[in-house]
Amino acid sequence: MRILLLLVAAGFAAVANAQSVLVWGTTQVPRHFNPAVQSGIATMMPGAQIFASPLRFDEKWQPQPYLADSWSFQDDGKSLLLKLVPNAKFHDGKPVTAEDVAFSIMTAKANHPFQSMLAAVERVETPSERIAVVRMSQPHPAILLALTPPFLPVLPKHIYGDGADPRNHARNTNPVGSGAYRFAEYKPGEHLILEKNKDYFIPGRPHFDRIIFKYFKDANALSLAIERKEIHFTPFWGELAMIPRFEKTPGIAVTQKGGEAIGPINWLAINTKKKPFDDVRVRKAIAYAIDRDFIVKKLHGGRTQAAIGPIAPASPFYNPAVEAYKVDIARANKLLDEAGLKPGAGGVRHALTVDFIPGNREMHQNIAEYLKPQLKKIGFEVTVRAAPDFPTWAKRVGGHEFDLTTDSVFNWGDPVIGVHRTYLSSNIRQGVIWSNTQSYANPKVDELLSRAGIERDADKRKALYQDFQKIVVDEVPIVYLNLLPYYTIHDATLKNLPQTIWGACAPVDEMRR
Amino acid sequence: MAEAGRSPWQEAWAVFRRNRAALIGLSLLGAMAVVLVLGPLLYPVDPFDIVGAPMTPPGDAEAPLGTDYLGRDILAGLVRGGRPTVLVGFCAAMITTVIGITIGSLSGYYGRATDRVLGRVVEFFQVLPALLFAMVLITLFAPSLVTVIVAIGVVAWPGMARLTRAEFLRIRQLDFVRSARAVGASDARIILATILPNALPPIIVSATLATGTAILFEAGLSFLGLTDPNVMSWGLMIGSSRNYLREAWWAVTFPGFCIFLTVLGISLVGDGLNDAFNPRLRQR
Amino acid sequence: MAYLAIVLRRLAQAAGLLVAVTVLNFTLIHLAPGDIVSTIVGEMGGASEETIAELRRAYGVDRGYLEQLAIYLGRVAGGDLGTSIYYNKAVFSLILDRIPATVLLVLTALVIALVVGTTLGVLAARYPGGWFAACVNLVSLFGFSAPVFWSGLMLLLLLASAIPILPPGGFYDVVAGAQGLAKALDIAHHLVLPATTLALIFLALYSRLARASMLEVLGSDYVRTARAKGVPERVVVVKHALRNALLPVVTVAGLQFSAMLAGAVLVETVFTWPGLGQLAFESILRRDNQLILGILLLSAVLVTLGNLITDILYRIVDPRIKTDG
Repeated sequence: MRILLLLVAAGFAAVANAQSVLVWGTTQVPRHFNPAVQSGIATMMPGAQIFASPLRFDEKWQPQPYLADSWSFQDDGKSLLLKLVPNAKFHDGKPVTAEDVAFSIMTAKANHPFQSMLAAVERVETPSERIAVVRMSQPHPAILLALTPPFLPVLPKHIYGDGADPRNHARNTNPVGSGAYRFAEYKPGEHLILEKNKDYFIPGRPHFDRIIFKYFKDANALSLAIERKEIHFTPFWGELAMIPRFEKTPGIAVTQKGGEAIGPINWLAINTKKKPFDDVRVRKAIAYAIDRDFIVKKLHGGRTQAAIGPIAPASPFYNPAVEAYKVDIARANKLLDEAGLKPGAGGVRHALTVDFIPGNREMHQNIAEYLKPQLKKIGFEVTVRAAPDFPTWAKRVGGHEFDLTTDSVFNWGDPVIGVHRTYLSSNIRQGVIWSNTQSYANPKVDELLSRAGIERDADKRKALYQDFQKIVVDEVPIVYLNLLPYYTIHDATLKNLPQTIWGACAPVDEMRR
Repeated sequence: MAEAGRSPWQEAWAVFRRNRAALIGLSLLGAMAVVLVLGPLLYPVDPFDIVGAPMTPPGDAEAPLGTDYLGRDILAGLVRGGRPTVLVGFCAAMITTVIGITIGSLSGYYGRATDRVLGRVVEFFQVLPALLFAMVLITLFAPSLVTVIVAIGVVAWPGMARLTRAEFLRIRQLDFVRSARAVGASDARIILATILPNALPPIIVSATLATGTAILFEAGLSFLGLTDPNVMSWGLMIGSSRNYLREAWWAVTFPGFCIFLTVLGISLVGDGLNDAFNPRLRQR
Repeated sequence: MAYLAIVLRRLAQAAGLLVAVTVLNFTLIHLAPGDIVSTIVGEMGGASEETIAELRRAYGVDRGYLEQLAIYLGRVAGGDLGTSIYYNKAVFSLILDRIPATVLLVLTALVIALVVGTTLGVLAARYPGGWFAACVNLVSLFGFSAPVFWSGLMLLLLLASAIPILPPGGFYDVVAGAQGLAKALDIAHHLVLPATTLALIFLALYSRLARASMLEVLGSDYVRTARAKGVPERVVVVKHALRNALLPVVTVAGLQFSAMLAGAVLVETVFTWPGLGQLAFESILRRDNQLILGILLLSAVLVTLGNLITDILYRIVDPRIKTDG
C-alpha cells in the first residue's frame, strides 16, 4: 500500500516537474567533464552544456556565432580574429574575456589528444578584453571547427590556470563554465545534475530548469527506462536490435538526424607490416571477400549506412567515386592465387587472427565472428582473439601485434582533425592506438594530406581530398564497413532537438517541450 | 548394520536406487550425455555457421529453435555447446578435488605444524573473492578454455580441503588406522590406501557438487565476457545474446535452461549420494 | 583472559594474511597486459607517445614492480588506500560511496535467504516425505542450479517488463528526488528484484542445511530423551532442536560472504545496482590498480572479520566446542 502511494506521489511530482526537467539517458560514462583535455562523446555531451565556445556550427556545416559574435581571417589565413560578445559571464559571476579564450586554446593545444587540431597555432594575442587573435604558423582551415563545443570549451583562467595539471584538475569533476547549464551534482557512474544558468548570455534560453544525466551500465536497463518514459532524451543510441520496439511505442520518437560531422567509421584494419598482408592483392582479396551488404542489411538490420572510404558521406569532402569492392569470392580467390598464397591441407591458405574492441558487440565482436565463416570461403582460417578488456586490446593494436582488427575511428568534422592521423606515414608509432597502426606509408598520400591541410580554397581542397580517398581505397590498408549508427530516442513532445552537425555534442540550449 | 555379504558401496547403491529424486537426476544426466555424445552426429550443423536471418524465432524450418543475433542456429549451439560446458565443469572440479584432497589430507593426517601452515594457505584462498580473482587471472592470461578451467579450479578448492581435513582427522583416530601404523606401514600408504578410501563418500559428494558449481561459474564468466569466443559453450551463448534478451529471448532462455537441467541433475545425484552414504555413517 | 589471547592471536594471523593477499593481488594485476594509462588514453581518443609517457610518469606506473609494491604497502600501512587514477578520487572515499549499496544488497539477500530458507528447511524436516518437502526441495534446487544472472534476467523480464511493477534497475529514482522516508521506500522498491535474485542461490543452501541438520538433531538422543520426559513437541523443536540445528547454517552463512560478493557482481550488473562488485569488475578491466587492491583488501578484511565473528559466535552458542589452536 505504501509503495502504491509512493508511486502515485512520484507520478504527480513527475507530472508537475515535467516541463522543467530533462532526463538524459546514456551508457557513456565520462571520467570528468572537461573536453579541452579529452576526446569522446561521453565528455562532450555534458561538456557542451556546461561550457560555451567561441563558435558553433549549424546543420549545413556553416559556422555560427557563439561566444564570438564575429570573426575574420587575416594575413592570408594565418590569423583568425575573434570578437567576443560583451555580456558573457562564467557561472561564478566573473566575465568571459579574451584572456580566457587564449588560455583555453593554449590549454587544449597542450593537452588535447588530437594534436593536429591546434598544432598550427603559435600563440593567441589579446589586444583588448573582447578581441582575441589566433596566430598560426600556416593557413589552417580546420581552425574554425576546432573552436567549437566538442573541442574548445572556454575555461575560466582564474580557476583552471592555477598551475595544476589540466588533465587531472580537481575542477574537472565540478566545473565552472559559461554555458547554458551549470554544474550542480555528480555521483560517479550514476548521475549528473545540471541547473539552468539564469545569466546565460543568450537571452530567452535555455528552457529546462534542470538536466539530469542518468548513467546506465546495461543497454537492457536503459531501454526499459526509456519505454517507461523515465528517460526523455537518449542520443547516440547504438543498440540496433531494440530500435523497432522504440518505433512502435507511442509517445517516443526515433531519429537519426544530427551529429553528421562526427563521422564514426567502423572498419577492419589490416597490419600491412605483416606478411602476407604487405601484398596489396591479399588485402584486396580480403576486401572482396567481405560482404558489406550482408553486414549492413542482415547483421545490422539495414539500420547502418555502408562506409566505403576514409571520409564519411556527410562530409563536404566525401568522394563516392571509389572502388566499391562488391563481394566477389571468385575474384578474391583469384587474387590470392596470383599473390602466390596457395591452398594447403584442407584448403587453408593462411591462418590469421582477428582482434576486436570489447564492448560494442554489434559493431565489433559480431563482425569478427562473421569473418570466421566468411573468410573460410577464401581459404583463411580465422581465430577470433578476444581481449577481456580495453587495455589488452590497446596494447596489442598499439604494439602492432595483430593481423586484422575491427576498429572505430571518427572523422571529427575536418579531415585534419580525425582523418590524417590514420594515413600519415609520420604517424606510425609504437604503443599509440588510433594512430597509423596499419603501418601504411605512401608518399603521395602524405603530400596530398599536407597540401589539403593548408589549402584555403574550398574547391581545391575538395579535389585534393578526392584524390586521397581514391588512392587509399585502392590500396586497402583498411576495409571500410559501416558508419556507427547514432540514433536519438526521445520524448515525442521535445522540440528543437540538437540536430546540427555536432548533434548532442553541442549545446541543447534551444531544446524545449 | 550392514547386511551380511554386502559391501558398504553396494549398500549405498541400494539406498540410492530407492531415492526417487536421485534417479530423476541420474536420468537427466543420462539424457544430457546422450545429447552431447550423439547430438553432433545426428544434427551436424556447425554452431558458427550463419543459417538464416538474425533473431528468427523458434519454429523455423531452417532453425527449429530459432537463430541468434548473427543468424546462427540455436539448436546447433545447444547440441555442440554442452561438451565444452561440461568439460570445463568436470576438469575444473577435478583440479579442485585434487588440490583440495592433497592439502586436506596432509593437513588432517600430520596435524600440528603442517596443519597450521596449510591452514593459513586455505584461509588465504578462502579470503579471495573467487569471481574477482578468477577475473584477474583470465585478464592476465587471456581468455581460453584452459585459463578458465584453471582459474575456476584454483579458487574453488578450499571447501574440498576443509572437508578432507575433517574426514582425515576423524578417521585417523580409528583403530584400523592405528594398527596399520603400528605394523609400520609408510605414511603415503596409510594416507592413500587406508584412510582415503574411507574418506571417499563425502569427497565424492563434494566433487559432484563442485562440478555443478564449476559449470555455473563458467556461465558467469561468459556472461561477463571473459571466455573464449572461438568455442561455443552454453555459457557463451547466454553471454553473447545478453543484449538481445528482449528481442530474442530464446537465445538466452534455452541455453540457460540447459545449464539449469544439467546442474539440477548433478545436484540431485549429489544429494542422493549424500543420503546414500549417510545412513551408513550414522549407524556406526 | 584466554578468550582475549585467542582473539589477539587470530587478529595477528589475519593481518599477516591480508598482507600476503595484497602482495599476490598486486603482483597479478601488475603482470596483466596494458595499464590504466591505456584505458585513459583510449577514452581520451588517443594520444601521442610523449603524452603517454608523461601520463605514465605522472601516475607512477613507469616505475619498477618492486618500487611500486613498496610504495603501495607503505601507504596502506599508514592507512592511505591511495587514489583511483581513473576517477581521480581517493580510493577510500570511492569505496565508502559504494559500500552502502552492496552491504544493503548482500545483507538483505542474506536475511531473506536465511529466514525463508531456514523456515522452509525446518518445516520440511518437521513434515518429511510429503509433497511439501518435495516442493521445498524443488524450489531450492531451482535457485541453486540456475545461473544467477539468468534468474535475474528472467525475473527482470517478468516483473519489470511483462508486468511492470518493479523498476528495471538503479538504486533510487533521482528524478523524483524523494527525501527521507520516501527515499528509503524508493530504495526498498528498487532493492526487491536484486536482493531476491541473490537470495535465490543461498535459499537452496540454507534450506537444505537446515533440513539436514534439523533431521539429525530431531533423531538424536538428546531430543529423544526430552520427548520421553514429556516435554511438549513445540518446545522440543524450538528450544532444543532449532538452536543446535542453526549452528551449521550460521557457520556456513559467515563463510559465504565471499561467495555473496561474487554473486553480487553478477546481480549488480544485471540490475545496474551501484555496488562494490560492479566497481571491482570495472576496475579490473580498466587496470585501476589502487582501486582494485583497495576493494580486494576490503573484501579480505570483511571475510576475515566474518570468520572471526562466526568463530566467536560458535563458541558462545556451543561451549562444548574444543579448539585446535
